[in-house]
Amino acid sequence: MSPFRILLHKELLDVVRDRRTLFMTLGLPVVLYPALIISMSVLIAAGTERLKNTELIVATVGPEAPALLKQRPVPPKTIYRPMSLEEAKVDLALQTVAAVVSAPEGAVDSLGAGKQAVVTVMYAKRFDRSREALDRMRPVLDSLNVELLQKRLDEKSLDAAFMQPVKTDPVDLDLKDSLGRLMAASLLPILLLTTLITGAVQAAIDTTAGEKERGTFETLLVAPVRPTQVMLAKYATVTIVAITTALANLSATALTFGFGVVIAGKSAMPVQFSVEQIAVMALCMLPTATLVSGLALAVASTAQTMKQGQALMVPVVLLGFAPAMVAQMPGIELTWLTSLVPLLNVALLVKAVILDTAQPFEVVLTLISVLIFSAIAFRAAALTFNSETFRFGGTASSGRLSLFWRRR
Amino acid sequence: MTTQALELVKVSRRFGDLLAVDEVSLTVAPGEVVGLLGPNGAGKTTALRVLAGLLTPSSGTARIGGIDVQRRPTEARMQLGFLTSSTGLYERLTGREIMKTFGALHDLDGPALRRRIDEVIEELELGPFVDRRCGALSSGQKQRISIARAVVHDPAVYVLDEPTAALDPVAAQDILDLVRRAQARGKAVLFSTHRLDEAEVLCNRVVVIRKGKVVSEGTPEQLKTGHESITAAFLQLVA
Repeated sequence: MSPFRILLHKELLDVVRDRRTLFMTLGLPVVLYPALIISMSVLIAAGTERLKNTELIVATVGPEAPALLKQRPVPPKTIYRPMSLEEAKVDLALQTVAAVVSAPEGAVDSLGAGKQAVVTVMYAKRFDRSREALDRMRPVLDSLNVELLQKRLDEKSLDAAFMQPVKTDPVDLDLKDSLGRLMAASLLPILLLTTLITGAVQAAIDTTAGEKERGTFETLLVAPVRPTQVMLAKYATVTIVAITTALANLSATALTFGFGVVIAGKSAMPVQFSVEQIAVMALCMLPTATLVSGLALAVASTAQTMKQGQALMVPVVLLGFAPAMVAQMPGIELTWLTSLVPLLNVALLVKAVILDTAQPFEVVLTLISVLIFSAIAFRAAALTFNSETFRFGGTASSGRLSLFWRRR
Repeated sequence: MTTQALELVKVSRRFGDLLAVDEVSLTVAPGEVVGLLGPNGAGKTTALRVLAGLLTPSSGTARIGGIDVQRRPTEARMQLGFLTSSTGLYERLTGREIMKTFGALHDLDGPALRRRIDEVIEELELGPFVDRRCGALSSGQKQRISIARAVVHDPAVYVLDEPTAALDPVAAQDILDLVRRAQARGKAVLFSTHRLDEAEVLCNRVVVIRKGKVVSEGTPEQLKTGHESITAAFLQLVA
């Protein structure tokens, strides 16, 4: 067996048995995310149901409002209470009443005379109970309107179509899919980059700074293997962990969202990707994983302890998250120029692929760019890994750089 | 000319302005145990790291079995069993898995590797805990696994960097037994230590270094000449 395969086997065995890495890679997406999202959906559904069963008081102002409202059945769990406008406004602010219905003087007569009456429904948008009260009152007033309108049309022997000579009937054949796509285009680039980075960072710290801290690094380097082979095995391990983390997160999120939305009682918004779209995203994931793995390894290799590694990784994580966020800004699209910006190009490419706006030239340019940056990251990781200064920290060098690390 | 199992020829290593090792030369023949003595910061670990190819010498040459460590590091390390002062074990792997990994890295494979692992398990009495993860072992058990890792490929040269520094007397005894067994089997052993009593008992020769330079070399008896103990001689040399 080649040294690379022996080392890779050792690294993977070590990583697989690391509870912290395992939790970050699989535990978090497979258990925590679904649990979190499903419980949130259940809570939202339960909250909505509870609100519907809550008894609400709706204030009626003046003599005309009750007269109008009594023409229709009272909505369930709703009580009308007459009061003055001032009193109603105070109670609305205090939320002792959920909404206020007022009608101008002579409203009933106006309607009887075939005229219009403006009925005001006051509510406070920031209160759930108030919005619920509006939702209950709207159908009452709408049905009153429909009934009166039908009566007037009947009196004039007119058809209902008289009121609406041209009826607009918008039919969005792919409404559900478009919404799903838009959501996916916003969510997937962020999810992809953040999970790749999270997975890579955790594994990179453990396999470099962790080894130094545990005292196994020197043991490994005195084995008859070239440091490049050791580094390559670590690089492959970090990349595998990064990809596994991303895939686990993406799968768990996809499954959870479908299940969670159904539980919340709302219609699902399915997104179906073509084979080409999946192929481009997968093709994009591998070099991106190698890019972030190289970057994480290059930084982690400079640390002597896990704690130092974690501190050094903060800017790396922020640097990785930023392009995912920038990609969501309006007007930022995949062009030949943005195709050259590392990580931003990946986020924009994923977005463009989902929205079916990716052009072959930009796809190729992005992939080439990511591959070039991956090679640079790999080279940087190899240089750092092979550096005696960073390999042995303060004991190997009295240079300015190692003094800087020693002071940390 | 007899090939020395291990050689440092005028090896220097500089870190910026600090000359950590200054033209150190020493040899260890097969079947010989040489003690490398010196106070903290004398350059012992740096010299051993140069010998193992972990650090590049600023000048001079290090050879293992006649092979230049810098020019042919993997070949040279094939013959090297290196034990650091820390146990340096993968706590999530078992002793057997560690031996398997390091044996395979030294070109052992299949039945030969399994046979050798069984020999080491028997020799070091690892049976009761060799299949347990190292994180769950006692310090003495860890030390034995560490030794097993270093010798699984039956190296011709043993380099031990302060191996007993952080050990209790029982665990330290395992190391001393290892050195004695290695010597009896014709292995060359270079042994860096602070423990002068250990050096006196185990070593055929001792090399004393101070501020990166060799200040004395000879048998423990020669070192002791004119002093009431080896400790007194050592203190005078490094003062």
